[in-house]
Amino acid sequence: MNNSSEKQNWRKRIVSWVDGDREPKDQTLFVMERRQPRFPRPSEEEREKREKSHLKKFFNWYPIAATIICVSLIGILMAAALSMPTFGQADNPINNEVSEHYLEHGEEETGSANAVTAMILSYRGFDTLGESCVLFLAVVSVMMLLLRDEKNTDEHDLQKMRSEDIIAEEHHDIILKQAARFLVPCIFLFAIYVLLNGETSPGGGFSGGTILGAGLILFSSAYGPGNMRMILTYETYSAVRTFGLVLYITLYGAYIFIGANNLPNYLEGMTLLIDLAVGLVVACTVYGFYAMFARGEI
Amino acid sequence: MLETVLQNRFAVTAVILFGIGFTNLLLQQNLLKKVVGFNIMDSAVFLLLASLGYIEGGIAPIVGDRGFDPLYINPIPSGLVLTGIVVSVSITAFSLALIQRIYRHYGTIELRELLERAKKEED
Amino acid sequence: MIILEYFLLAGIIMCAAAAPLCKRLLSMVIVYMAFSLLMAVLWSLLQSPDLAITEAAVGAGVTSILFFLTLKKIHALKGTRDE
Repeated sequence: MNNSSEKQNWRKRIVSWVDGDREPKDQTLFVMERRQPRFPRPSEEEREKREKSHLKKFFNWYPIAATIICVSLIGILMAAALSMPTFGQADNPINNEVSEHYLEHGEEETGSANAVTAMILSYRGFDTLGESCVLFLAVVSVMMLLLRDEKNTDEHDLQKMRSEDIIAEEHHDIILKQAARFLVPCIFLFAIYVLLNGETSPGGGFSGGTILGAGLILFSSAYGPGNMRMILTYETYSAVRTFGLVLYITLYGAYIFIGANNLPNYLEGMTLLIDLAVGLVVACTVYGFYAMFARGEI
Repeated sequence: MLETVLQNRFAVTAVILFGIGFTNLLLQQNLLKKVVGFNIMDSAVFLLLASLGYIEGGIAPIVGDRGFDPLYINPIPSGLVLTGIVVSVSITAFSLALIQRIYRHYGTIELRELLERAKKEED
Repeated sequence: MIILEYFLLAGIIMCAAAAPLCKRLLSMVIVYMAFSLLMAVLWSLLQSPDLAITEAAVGAGVTSILFFLTLKKIHALKGTRDE
């Protein structure tokens, strides 16, 4: 009984869907007319019940479907992985003339001995430019979500923050502070070494930037936000972040303008500056994430 | 069969990692566990890419005058993965920020309760 | 060297399988940290030191810190002062 009525209901819906809307009664179009709803509105309780059963049905079927999808995906990928070219052979199709060119002419064309740095900063610098923009946007969107202002904080949250600060000042962690006193200069030194030696040794903008950001995080968590604000205020932070991106855009624009299309490349030391710009952007990104997550402010 | 698996060990590991990550992404109820699954998937893709560029007996692609002509590995996958790792961090940070906002609004990060509460709030 | 490679690959798979199975979210993050560190060693075995440095700083450092801060915000850390 119930089944047949449901079937009819379905047919009715399909027919009305095929027929489309009724013609407007008079010639004036766009008259807002309050029509009778085509189907009677279900009552509140019925609707809630139906929705609950929908959810329940969904949660019953979802794991089964997901498992089937996962197993079939793993099977397909495994078959693909087993028919891939053998690992580590020099004549694999990926080792073509492009990488040969990078390795052979990279040093004289870009002035950096590290082929990875030469590739990501010179040959494919537009990639990295877009990626720096992605990082910039990521910080901006995390700020949009977590930045503390009058709209998304109430008195209770502020009070809790203040009491937490007082507790943190009273019970300062002596191990953390002493370790940080020893470690922070070493980390900064290592970060600057990695950042500036991206041309001749492993490292460069991305690695050095993340290490620099990690050092800033250690300093900030050991000495508290008050001391951190002495060296890095919000204004400085935004200025450095924007400066890094703008420096990259300017340098890379000049780089393309001067060096592209078989024109000779006059600026040999450019990779170092671009490295520095990327490093600044990455370090600011990493520290910005930490500051937003920890306190909701820089 | 076994020989092929052992030869392509990195690709096989990457596929297994991808499967683990994908299964977690689909089947876990906890949003944080979903994010960890997503990160594992990321690592699997990076592992596959980097292992493609490796050449047996090759050394890191830092060109210099070593006095002999060494075999270098392919620098292109390394560069691609390097940018990918940093982007994966920003994606993780963004999703964690969203999770914090969800927790502040709904008070839970279990998907099932979350959907029920969201439905209740809609009405 | 190849035996070390097999050990690392097995360890990575074990860590990846174990991380989301942990009951407590804190231990999940710590197992994920171990996963990232093993990955960093594997990068250096694959002769990409750039990746090893970045992964060690990012995967084991920054990502775990972000996870810990999120755990603190959603009150999933037991034994801290706010509970």
